[in-house]
Amino acid sequence: MPLLLVVGIFLLFPLANAVYFAFVDFDGLDPAPPWVGLGNFTELAQDRAVWAAFRNNVVWIIIGTVAPLAIGLWLALLVWGVERGGIFYRLAFFIPYVLPQVAVGIVWGWIYEPSRGWLNRVLNAVGLDGLATGWLGNPNTALYAVLFTAIWATFGFVFVIFLAALRNVDMELIDAALLDGANAFARVRYIILPQIMPVFIAVTTITLIGGFAVFDIVFVMTGGGPAGASEVLGTYAYSSAFGLNRISYGTTLALVITVMSIPFAVGLNRLQRRLSLEGGGA
Amino acid sequence: MRVFRSKVLAVATLFFVAAACTGTTPESATTEEDAASSSEDVTLKWLIEEPEDAAALQALEDHIAEFEAASGITIDIDTLPWENMRTILQTQLRSGDGPDVFNWGAGPSWGGALAEAGMLLDLTDAYEERGWDVYDFAVERVTAGDQIYGIPGEMEIIGIFYNQEIFDELGIEEPQNLEELRAAAETVREAGILPMAVSDKAGWEGGHLLSMSLSSNIGSDAMEALFEGEQSWDSPEVVESLQLWKDFHDADFLPPSPTSVDYDTAISTFYAGDAAMLPTGSWLVNEIDTNADFEVGYFAFPAPDGNGIFAGGLGSGPFVNAQTEHPEAALEFLDFLASPEHAKWTIENLGSIPPIPTTGEDLDVSPLMQQVVDDVSGFADGGDFGYNIDVMVGDAFNEAMYDGIQGLFTGQTTAEEIAANLAAASDS
Repeated sequence: MPLLLVVGIFLLFPLANAVYFAFVDFDGLDPAPPWVGLGNFTELAQDRAVWAAFRNNVVWIIIGTVAPLAIGLWLALLVWGVERGGIFYRLAFFIPYVLPQVAVGIVWGWIYEPSRGWLNRVLNAVGLDGLATGWLGNPNTALYAVLFTAIWATFGFVFVIFLAALRNVDMELIDAALLDGANAFARVRYIILPQIMPVFIAVTTITLIGGFAVFDIVFVMTGGGPAGASEVLGTYAYSSAFGLNRISYGTTLALVITVMSIPFAVGLNRLQRRLSLEGGGA
Repeated sequence: MRVFRSKVLAVATLFFVAAACTGTTPESATTEEDAASSSEDVTLKWLIEEPEDAAALQALEDHIAEFEAASGITIDIDTLPWENMRTILQTQLRSGDGPDVFNWGAGPSWGGALAEAGMLLDLTDAYEERGWDVYDFAVERVTAGDQIYGIPGEMEIIGIFYNQEIFDELGIEEPQNLEELRAAAETVREAGILPMAVSDKAGWEGGHLLSMSLSSNIGSDAMEALFEGEQSWDSPEVVESLQLWKDFHDADFLPPSPTSVDYDTAISTFYAGDAAMLPTGSWLVNEIDTNADFEVGYFAFPAPDGNGIFAGGLGSGPFVNAQTEHPEAALEFLDFLASPEHAKWTIENLGSIPPIPTTGEDLDVSPLMQQVVDDVSGFADGGDFGYNIDVMVGDAFNEAMYDGIQGLFTGQTTAEEIAANLAAASDS
């Protein structure tokens, strides 16, 4: 019964509410918004800004998933063998993750600032002034600058989870592989990864779904600009709903984001469960 | 069962994304009079834009304390960053939990939209009964049909602040036409100083740039023709006024990447003496007086053939929630906010100029503020002023303008394309 209540309040009601708003044209004020049927969906399909934002989301999902996983796993493997100072490394790598995203965005905004930010100052100091640019205001770099910040803020989480998972890896298998002359890559590929695969899938799910729903750090750092260059679906939904007072259009977009991410969430969840049942180590 | 539960919880989490953009339809606005609206033991919530300077908020609270002491009404001041106000205010008003009094913008897409939705107390009778003396032109901006729905906010002009010391050192006089402005900027640039501290990271700053150049380029009558649809936004003059900023950028009169620079950074660049000019609005005068340790002048963006006109507009002013439980107390508070005494106080202490006749003389203000007061007084005298475009148009137009000008600086779009988009947004 409590579960049904939770599902009703936090799933069914918001879902029904969102679906309703997707079929009307609510401007945030009109108490009786007109019914528009599939109008919001057809407009969305023809909206070039949506497709541009979707492309940015795809970039975000790919890089924003692969990079934290790779960096987090690499660092976890490095720290795994450290006997002294392990706590220091765990803290150092994890702290960015516990910082509020808004604060992270603001601080990195200063770092990227074109004239006074230290990134350009460093580039100028080492003779790479040709690379200096207005990182968040340049349409060619804005998305990647924000994405880099997001990766910086995320890899610590991946690192800590992988480090915990590595504690359950069978060391006898590692020793045997060493005796057989397996190099580091082979040990990771054939010994370690299979044993932590359920955790790997779980972390992948979280970071990947985060790529669909990304909003806060983009909103804080660029607002989707310049001229939509770093716009993602989340910020476009927000600006449509609250900037243009098109609550229904924004809701429709949010629904679409949700629907797009469900197959990934369910598929990865199933895979993780299957691997767990098959006896994955961690 | 566990599988079902985990799936349901996972999906529930995902749906929070969708739920975040939804709301409930508003309850109908109540019109019931407040039977117990005597001023005793009444607390009014007043929502205002978060001031740039914390000291300004403290000064305002101290000033409001005088009203509280005299009226017995407690004013609970709440502040929000301007960029968050629309979202939060509309949600609060629709849920019936809004502030009693709040500062909001005038015009169709701002207060007009709330008035149309029945969310604002009709102040038409109050104006007459309570003798609020507000300039007619300003009252027109808070009028929808036959209803006056608020007290208009401060009068603002947008022009160019300049560092008098830099101008003097380089032998530059206040530019009297566009060519002189270009020459001045070139002289400043040659001296290794940034000519204009322009920011356009948020987008709205670009709207102000166009407001200035276009107002001075075509004049107030032609601006009105644009707003009324008698003239098209893709006219050559609009293109020219947009292209002018691209040319300034290409000539290194502006920072290399204005879309990377936020408003505060542009201002601090000017305060630091690293930029000779700062194109922005008169709302900054108080802060300039506090922070700039050099003399500052202010002029209208020049026209091609002479002195230009200031782009003018009204800032946010107090409106009353139609569902307030204390309408009488709210009106009493508006009496205070609409008084000449309060107007004088805001000029002297906040640097904002309400559209209320008050003595322009005997003000205890800086020379720069006095100049702005004198310039702004032309509003009431029917002086020639341009328009701050973004308070005159709808959100879709503003988005096209903000994105377009950002794209102009980054090379993503051309002046002609922006003008065409503005025309399309205006038509829609």
